[in-house]
Amino acid sequence: MRALCWEGVGKLAVRDVPEPRIRAEGDIIVKVRASSVCGSDLHLINGYLPAMREGDILGHEFTGEVVETGPGVQRLRVGDRVVVGSVVACGGCWYCRTEQFSLCDNSNAQPVLTEKLWGHAPAGILGYSHAAGGYSGSHAEYIRVPFGDVGAFPVPDGVPDDAVVFASDALPTGWMAADFCGLKGGEVVAVWGAGGVGQMAARSAQILGAERVIVIDRLPQRLATAAARLGVETINYADTDVLEALREMTAGRGPDACIEAVGMEAHDVGPGYAYDRVKQSARLTLDRPTSVRQAIMACRKGGTVSIVGVYAGLVDKFPLGAAMNKALVLRMGQMHAQRYIPMLLDRLAAGEIDPGYLATHPLALEDGVRGYELFEKKRDGCLRSVLHPVR
Amino acid sequence: MTSNATRWALLGATTATALGVGATVARRRRRHQPDRRDGWYVVRRGITVDRPMDALVGFWTDRERLDRALAGWATLEQLDDNRWRCVARDRAGRTGWRAEITVTGPRRLSWRVEAGPVPQQGRVDLVPAPRDRGTEIRVELRYRFGGPVRRALGLVRGAEPDQGLRDALRRIKSLIECGQVIDTRRDPSGRDQRQEAATDRLRERLTTGGRA
Repeated sequence: MRALCWEGVGKLAVRDVPEPRIRAEGDIIVKVRASSVCGSDLHLINGYLPAMREGDILGHEFTGEVVETGPGVQRLRVGDRVVVGSVVACGGCWYCRTEQFSLCDNSNAQPVLTEKLWGHAPAGILGYSHAAGGYSGSHAEYIRVPFGDVGAFPVPDGVPDDAVVFASDALPTGWMAADFCGLKGGEVVAVWGAGGVGQMAARSAQILGAERVIVIDRLPQRLATAAARLGVETINYADTDVLEALREMTAGRGPDACIEAVGMEAHDVGPGYAYDRVKQSARLTLDRPTSVRQAIMACRKGGTVSIVGVYAGLVDKFPLGAAMNKALVLRMGQMHAQRYIPMLLDRLAAGEIDPGYLATHPLALEDGVRGYELFEKKRDGCLRSVLHPVR
Repeated sequence: MTSNATRWALLGATTATALGVGATVARRRRRHQPDRRDGWYVVRRGITVDRPMDALVGFWTDRERLDRALAGWATLEQLDDNRWRCVARDRAGRTGWRAEITVTGPRRLSWRVEAGPVPQQGRVDLVPAPRDRGTEIRVELRYRFGGPVRRALGLVRGAEPDQGLRDALRRIKSLIECGQVIDTRRDPSGRDQRQEAATDRLRERLTTGGRA
């Protein structure tokens, strides 16, 4: 079959690879119909998340059709159209039982690296390097999904592939970011990042009761899309002082909750950013936490900072004093896909959320390299490239 | 004179640095060395399984499930009511062990390796975990490794039996909680045979072992 493989830092290629096989009783094989690029892939491609190996198949946000099931699979049948959470969860450990699926004890096949880096190993993630289990990804014609009964969900009729594909990762991540904020109704929520996850976080915050949502980015087109599609307010940090603007927009209070949906390759302006950039390029640090710092500084006293952008290592200039003295609540984590996906599919079917507009560039799998280039360079108004192995 | 003084100063500085580095390395090594008692290395490891005690005991006594779980890794042969013989080998099939397992009390068993590369024995206790967290499997492992000089200088490297123990505990937890030990070797990739072999060696390192 054909698959998009990582070939070294900054290098991708579509290659012929063997087809996956059922390996355990709970496995399913999914014929991929749509597989989205994701901002967190860029960290892998650019070598900031360690443990990629040449030949690894990328992709973790996808939808498709079940073509084979292991003997232990009970909930799914061959022919089912499914969306699969990018986080792998066993369904049988304490974390899975308490719906903290991205912390699953048993799904990271290669837990030693993250145990050393982070103290404990979180769940495995499909197509997400050997630190996250070494699973093959979804930018391929077929993919093996372990624990199919736990991680794959039938897609409601009438929801197109290019919309439901985001129920795999961007939407549940955005939802969890808003869920972390503990909204009770009437809050002001600021969201850093107007990419797929940021926009889904903004929409989720609206549904969960936020009165005003303010989205921050530097790309006018993305901000315009967010404003038009979701009716949010926007700040372009390239020409506005974000902290001043947020203070002014909230009459001095600051946002009740700040969602960070950017991650370790955040952009900014000024000499501090240039310093971080040099440091990261020299691999002296894995992360550029610009937007996290800003979110902590902007958040109102006693507010919540919710981090769903991906970070890997140690950061400096972290405003711990601000967080401590303002009594902030910090929430963060990889999303618990399996907790949110069924509920989100209902909302998709009901038309309450429509992430389909994120798929600005539907492409054939063969065009995958160009898909990532468009996405990384933000060319041609690209919000997300969605690859279609089967046409 | 000046050059002699410089030489002495340099020599002194070098010696001090070497001693300092040596002491630091030795201290670090000691911190990661297992306890020693009666000529044995002793390590204690534990893992929490999200199942009540009965389910853990049930797992060991359900012959069919156990055989399926241990397939390709170990075989168990019951000798009498309280004694079992276990024959196991490592993942790569390089080394093998034959051990006798004895049930020595309620929620407790012990084992002794009768044939294997490293003399070892151990004890397993099942303890209820706090709140609703299931059952703790607590293991004390004793093993001999390396010659007397290496042991005296604390030069044991890697502590393989300890790594094997951690690996085994992780496998057991996974088998009981979700019926399989997840494995991503032989998943598709764009690697050729040589690259795949190198990646498998990395996988091995990232799969076995533990935090220390």
